[in-house]
Amino acid sequence: MTNPDHKQINNKQLSRREALLLLGKVGGSAAMLQAAGLFGLFAAPVQAQPELVKLKPLTAGRKTVLILGAGISGLVAAYELGKAGYQCKILEASHRAGGRNLTIRHGDFIDELGNPQFCNFDKDPDLYFNAGPARIPAHHTAILHYCREFAVEMQMFCNYNKNCYTQDDNAFGGKPVRIREYEADTRGFFSELMAKSIQAEAKLDAPFDDIDRQKLIEFCKAYGDLSSDFTYEGSERAGYQSGGILSPGVLKKPRAFADLLQSNFWAGAMHFGEVSDQAAALMTPVGGMDKIVDAFLSRLAGKVQLKAQVQKVQLLPQGVEVSYWLDGQLQTEQADYCLNCIPAQLMAGIENNFPADYVGVMRQLKRGKLSKIALQAKERFWEKEQIYSGISWTNQDITQIWYPSHGLFKTKGILLGAYSWDPAISDRYSAMTNQERIAAAITQGSKLHPDYGKYIDQGNSVCWQRMNHMLGCGAVWSEELLKTSFATIQAPVGGHYMVGDQVSYHPGWQEGAVRSAWYAMESIQQQEQQKQRQVAV
Amino acid sequence: MKDWILACLLFCVSVQAETFHEDAQYCLVCHGSNAQGNEAISAPNLAILPDWYLSSQLQAFQSGWRGHQTKDAYSKEMMAVAQSMSPEDIKRAIGFITGFGVSKTPETLTGDEKHGKTLYQTCAACHGAAAEGNQAMGAPPLAGQYSWYLLRQLQAYRSGQRGAAENDSRGAMMKQIAATLQQDQDLNDLVAYINTLDIQKTNNPKTDIKK
Repeated sequence: MTNPDHKQINNKQLSRREALLLLGKVGGSAAMLQAAGLFGLFAAPVQAQPELVKLKPLTAGRKTVLILGAGISGLVAAYELGKAGYQCKILEASHRAGGRNLTIRHGDFIDELGNPQFCNFDKDPDLYFNAGPARIPAHHTAILHYCREFAVEMQMFCNYNKNCYTQDDNAFGGKPVRIREYEADTRGFFSELMAKSIQAEAKLDAPFDDIDRQKLIEFCKAYGDLSSDFTYEGSERAGYQSGGILSPGVLKKPRAFADLLQSNFWAGAMHFGEVSDQAAALMTPVGGMDKIVDAFLSRLAGKVQLKAQVQKVQLLPQGVEVSYWLDGQLQTEQADYCLNCIPAQLMAGIENNFPADYVGVMRQLKRGKLSKIALQAKERFWEKEQIYSGISWTNQDITQIWYPSHGLFKTKGILLGAYSWDPAISDRYSAMTNQERIAAAITQGSKLHPDYGKYIDQGNSVCWQRMNHMLGCGAVWSEELLKTSFATIQAPVGGHYMVGDQVSYHPGWQEGAVRSAWYAMESIQQQEQQKQRQVAV
Repeated sequence: MKDWILACLLFCVSVQAETFHEDAQYCLVCHGSNAQGNEAISAPNLAILPDWYLSSQLQAFQSGWRGHQTKDAYSKEMMAVAQSMSPEDIKRAIGFITGFGVSKTPETLTGDEKHGKTLYQTCAACHGAAAEGNQAMGAPPLAGQYSWYLLRQLQAYRSGQRGAAENDSRGAMMKQIAATLQQDQDLNDLVAYINTLDIQKTNNPKTDIKK
């Protein structure tokens, strides 16, 4: 929930705040924000100027940097440090660069331990799926900075579409309901209840005057599309039952509030699009998220060594030594600095001479479990159901169905047939073969789209906790561990830095990866400036 | 024509898939850079294990004796990996793993070691007085293994999640013995005692090639 600045609220306004908190709890943060606007509580948000990393060119000497991992943080580091004159080399264990920025297309190898697959989609630039990051919100200014600088072609990405479905086995006989209907009705009933109870209350707390009260009632009316007597009688927001263009629109009969509450949709997914990182408008590169990786790689020719698996990291009195397997041989290199993007849970198993508390934190970071299943549809049947992009939600294991935001009106399309970040669900998927996963996704998806299976050609799946050289998606920090140990893992040990989204308060997002790399590079620059000052003295 | 290309493509794909494990380093992703295990991944120490035991367990995972009836995601993980390995892959992996020097894992488990020592007398018959293992009995070395791993395996045997497969006679024996350890504290004490034992050089007739 958005937290109003407590200092701005004096005692006299407390009952307003209580009313707001009540609204926020019941109606989700969007209701609260709108109400807050009416009360004049919030100043318009001031967009902070996005700060960018600024590395001064190296003036003296040759400085070397070994970067472990060619995910987003490693690529950013190699690019920026390279521009500033540092000699960089990336060692990447996998057969590809990009880390979890992974777009799967025809023929691609999916390196899941125990379940290696090749992508069986048709060869077509529109037939791909982003197995890792898929969307970028506008406030992720650091990753967007590179999209702009590299002229990566972008498109809008739709996360929220009222024409998609919500399906819950416990409500409406398990039948799917359009999100627009569900939302219009729940908001309508909720607003009616609020408006009438505010009217009925003869006298509210003294500081909550009549004008305030009237505004709040008006807000309820606007929020729920109530009639003039503050009753919800259905809304065109739910879509018309019939007519509306050449004949008068006939409203749909509202569903019973008690039935709406049977569904779990109101408890979570209905408010997904309110989450700051998930709210419209979102962006994504045209043709796949890995266009960002490609843009970096084209600027890092000769600097990325693939299939180099790190065996040992040793801190030296000056600098760092890294041993790695390449073509079955152990190689050793030294550098002034090492930016280590290896997932902490893997680094904990790699020989090192790190301080005990430092490596102790790595042992405590948990593997994030998250799975995606993508399905190639031979026909874009969802378009016939007036769905163009967006997400349908269900309380089955598949959790979500994503409809592509691109390739409208083409013949085929790639659906995201399952996307779960519940570890228990991901464990269930990881125990299946790819074919079993596809079959399970089709069975469950059929509850949202009859004849679903008829349209599906084939599919591929990614269980991140099983992906080779990663074994997890975003690092799982407990709140307690963040408090006690984030600073430990963020701080350099000599010339060695742990980086990546794992060393951010935003794991699982590219923004966390870029900002973590920027943080480490600025620290390197400080170390260099300090050394130069010492030489000068 | 199109079918012919497709058939060709499928063939290429299957050939590639079969030779996917071109080296054995993938073992180290989970089990640590010296096969010493990794607590963060819940992967046990392999470096202390002799070739015959690695081989028998890879077969157990391949056949589903281990991993199939269990609920724990770690065994399922290893089962999937083992099932994706060819006989050649397994041979290569065992050769690679047994090439690493052994090092004792740091332990945090505390328990009544004296009581554990008494309990261990039953175990010693197969696993050896110093928990060095005994190939003739099919009993692996235990000394040097992570306490959390030993504990989890004892619990798995006790609950029947391990050792219940039809042809797994040795597992069945362990299942019976583990069933006699009723109290959790007994398991704890037993593992705490095993932790006090040093790794025996006879575990693996190999030299330390720590790189």
